[in-house]
Amino acid sequence: MSRPDSTGGRGRRPVVVTGAGVVSPLADSPAELFAALCRGEGALGPVEGFSVAELSSDGGSEGNGSGPIPDLAAELRGFDPKAYLGKKNFRPLDRTGRLATVAADLALADSGWDAEARRQREVGLVLGTMFGSVHTISAFDRRALTAGPNYAKPMDFANSVINAAAGQTAIWHDLRGVNTTLSGGTTAGLQALGYAADLVAGGRAGAVLAGGADELCLESFLGFGRAGWLAGTGYGTGNGTGNGGGAAEPRPVPLDARRNGFVPGEGAGLLMLETAEGAEARGARVLARVLGYGSTFDPSRGADDASAVSAVARAAALALEEAGLDAADVDCLSLSASGSRDGDSREARGLAVVFGDRLAELPAMAIKAHLGESLGASGAYQALAALGVFAEGRLPGVRGLEATDDGLTVPSLDSAERPVAARTCLATALDFDGGAVALVLAAPATAEVASGGA
Amino acid sequence: MPGADSQGPRIVVTGIGAVTPVGEGRQRVWEALLAGESGIAPVESFDTGAYNVHLGGEVRGFDPARHLRTVDPARLGRASQMACAAARMALADAGLEGLEGEDGADPGRRGVAMGTTSGEPREVERFNDSYVAERLGDVDPRFIALYPCHTIAASVAAEVGFAGANAMLPTACAAGNYAVAHACDLLRSGRADVMLAGGADSFSRITYTGFARLGAIAPERCQPFDLERKGMIPGEGAAVLVLEPLEAARRRGAVIYAEVAGYGLSCDAHHMTGAHPEGDGARRAMEQALAESGLEAGDVDYVSAHGTGTPTNDRLETIAFHRVFGDQARRVPVSSIKSMLGHTMGAASAIEAAVCSLAVSEGRIPPTINFEQPDPDCDLDVVANEARELPVRVAMNNAYAFGGNNASVIFRGVEA
Repeated sequence: MSRPDSTGGRGRRPVVVTGAGVVSPLADSPAELFAALCRGEGALGPVEGFSVAELSSDGGSEGNGSGPIPDLAAELRGFDPKAYLGKKNFRPLDRTGRLATVAADLALADSGWDAEARRQREVGLVLGTMFGSVHTISAFDRRALTAGPNYAKPMDFANSVINAAAGQTAIWHDLRGVNTTLSGGTTAGLQALGYAADLVAGGRAGAVLAGGADELCLESFLGFGRAGWLAGTGYGTGNGTGNGGGAAEPRPVPLDARRNGFVPGEGAGLLMLETAEGAEARGARVLARVLGYGSTFDPSRGADDASAVSAVARAAALALEEAGLDAADVDCLSLSASGSRDGDSREARGLAVVFGDRLAELPAMAIKAHLGESLGASGAYQALAALGVFAEGRLPGVRGLEATDDGLTVPSLDSAERPVAARTCLATALDFDGGAVALVLAAPATAEVASGGA
Repeated sequence: MPGADSQGPRIVVTGIGAVTPVGEGRQRVWEALLAGESGIAPVESFDTGAYNVHLGGEVRGFDPARHLRTVDPARLGRASQMACAAARMALADAGLEGLEGEDGADPGRRGVAMGTTSGEPREVERFNDSYVAERLGDVDPRFIALYPCHTIAASVAAEVGFAGANAMLPTACAAGNYAVAHACDLLRSGRADVMLAGGADSFSRITYTGFARLGAIAPERCQPFDLERKGMIPGEGAAVLVLEPLEAARRRGAVIYAEVAGYGLSCDAHHMTGAHPEGDGARRAMEQALAESGLEAGDVDYVSAHGTGTPTNDRLETIAFHRVFGDQARRVPVSSIKSMLGHTMGAASAIEAAVCSLAVSEGRIPPTINFEQPDPDCDLDVVANEARELPVRVAMNNAYAFGGNNASVIFRGVEA
C-alpha cells in the first residue's frame, strides 16, 4: 500500500505536475501517447531523414570499414511546427529547438500558463538533452570546411551551443525564470525533472517546465552504430552495451532474452512543475506529485559490473528515501530498459537490490520498446507514462517481449497492456557513461483531484 | 531569490584547481593574473590563414599525464583532460587528495557538477573531417563515447572516484557559475558532503569560426571596458572548486577561501546571442544573488565582470550594473580577467569564481589589462592594468551566455 499523502521529505514544499506537452513519434499529446503505448503501437521503422545505406557504404581506410547498420529508428515523421505555433518564422530554430518549443507550447496550454500569466510571473525551463544538436554544430563546421570559414552561417553558430534549444524556447514563450540545460545522456530528462523539482521544493522557483529533447540525426545515429550499441550492430567496441557478437537481426526489445541493442528515437516532452500551494491558488488541475529524486554515478563507467548495478540501486534508494516511501510503497516501475544487453540487466539487478524478491511481482513498463532510446526525451516520456498509469489504471505492455532472461530477476512484465491500481511510480534511467537517476512520482492526493479545475 | 527558504548549511570553497592560458594550479594562475600576464598568442592548434583574426588564449604545454592517476588521458577529449587535471589539483589543494575510500568516507556522498559551452568540439571536428572527405568509415568507434558533453563530468568523477550526483550543465558561457550554484544546492539540501564544481572548454575551430563570423573577435588584444575595445578573444581552460559545508571544513581544519553566499539565475528570453538592451536578465540575476545572500548592493567590494571586451557586451553589462548598484555603481571595483586569458567559454566563470574566492581570502583584485581610455558608456571603477589591494569582504561573479542564460554568484569572507 502506498502512502497517498506523502509530500516528500526534508521539509520541502510539495511539488505537483499541472500539465504536460509532448511531441513524439507516436503522438503529440500525453493522452494519445499513453493510448498508443497501451495499444502496443511501435514507432520503429526505416529512417526517412537521411540515408542509412549511404552512411554504411561511405569509404574509409582499410580495416576501418563500417559494418552494416540496420535502417531502423523511432523517427518523428512529418513534424511541422506551423501546425502548432502558426505561420511564424522558424528559420532561427533548428530541429531540436523546434521540438522543445512545440512541447513547451503544449505544456503551457495544458497547464493553463497563458501569455498574460507568464508576463506577470516568471516561468522557468529545465531542459535535459544529450546533444542539443550535434547535427547543427556539424552543419556549421562542414560549411566552414567546404566553403571556407567566411561562409559559415552565424545562425547555425547560435544554435551550435548545447543550451540553444532552451534559449530558443525561452525566447519564443517569454520564459524569464531559471533556464538550465542538463546533459546526462539518457538520464538527462529525469535529471531535469529532479533538478526542477528541487528548485520548486526549495522555494527558488514557483513554476518550471522540465523534461527533455533530442533529435534523430545522422551524426548520432552513425556514432551509436559505429560503437556497436544499436540493435543488430554488435561489431563495435562500445561500452559493453552492444551484443559484441557481430551484425545480426535487430531485436531492440527491453529485457528480452534475445535483445541485442537499442534503436535511436527522438522528440520532446515537458512537464509543468509547481508548488502544490501555487497550483491550488490558481485552481490548476493536478496530474501528479513529484516526491523524490536520486542521482548517482558509477565511477567505473560501466567497466565494473557490480559498480554499475550499485549506481542504479543507490539512485533508487535515495529517491525513495527522499519521498518518504519504503520499497513496499512503490506500485509500478517506469524502466530505462532499451534492449541494451548490459544496461537492461544492470537496471534490473539494481532494482532487485532495492525491491528484493518483490521485484518479480512489481508491474513495470519499458516504453523504449515502442519509442526507442530518445536520449534527453526518454525521461520525459517515462514520466508521462507514469501519469497515464495514474489517470487510467492500466499499464502498457512491453512491445515485442517474448521471453525474459533466464537467471535474471526482472519486474513483472507482459507484452500486452493490463489493468493496474497504481498510486506511485519509480522511474529510473541508466546512462551509457555511468550516470544513474531515479524519480518517484505519485498520483494526486485525493483533495487535489477534487479541487482541480479543467 | 526572495522566498528561497531552504538555506541549509553554509557552503565554503576549500580547494582550487585550474588549467589556463597563463599556467596551471591555484598559486601559479593567481600570481600570473595579479601580475597582469597575458595568455593571448597566435593560434597554434589549427591554421587561421583563412581568417582575418589570428589570436587565441590557448593552453600551451599541457600534459594531462602529469595529473591523472586513474583515467587514461588517451581515452579523454581535451576538455575532459583539462577538467580532470583541474579536479586533481583542487582536491590536493583542499587536502582531500587520496581520500577515495581511504578515509572511510562514502564516495556516494561526493559528487561532480561541471559546466561547458561546447563539450568536446574537437571530437565532432574529427567526425566532420571524415564526412567532408567522404570517408565516414573512418569515424572513430569511440566518437559517441568521447563527444557528448557529459563525458566531462563523468570523466572527472571517474578520475577521482566520486560516486554521488553527477551533473553536466552546458549553459554556455555562464556554465561555470551554474555548476557552482547547483553544487551548492546539492550540499545545502544534504544530497552530498563534498562537491567538485567548475567548468571546462577546449579551443576549437568551430568556436573560433563562430565568433569570427559574428565579427566578435578582437584583432590585436582584448580590452574590456576600454573606449577602443574591439572584441573578445576565444580561449580555453578548466577550473574546479572543492565545495563543502563550513562545519565539515572547520572540523577537518581545512583552509577556507570563501563562502558561497548565494546565487541568482535568470533568462533574458530576448535574443540567442545578444544581451537584453536594458540588461533585464543580468539585473534580475544580480538582485536574486544579493537577496539570497542577505546583502545589499552597497556591501559588494569587488565585481568580476563578464567583460568579454565586445563593444555591446560591456556597454549593456554596465547598464545592468547601474540598475542594480545605483549611485554605488562607480564606486565598486570591477575587473575582467578575460583581458588576460581570453574568453575561456564554459570555464570562464569557473576560473572567475576561483578569482573571487582568492580575492576574498587575500584582499587583492586582479586587473583588467590593456585598459587605456575610459568609455563614457562604461562608467565603472575598472581596476586598470595593475592589481589592487583592499579588503574584499564580498565579491560578485557575473556571467552571461548565449541563450540569454545569466548567472551571478556571490562569495564572501568567512570569520576565523
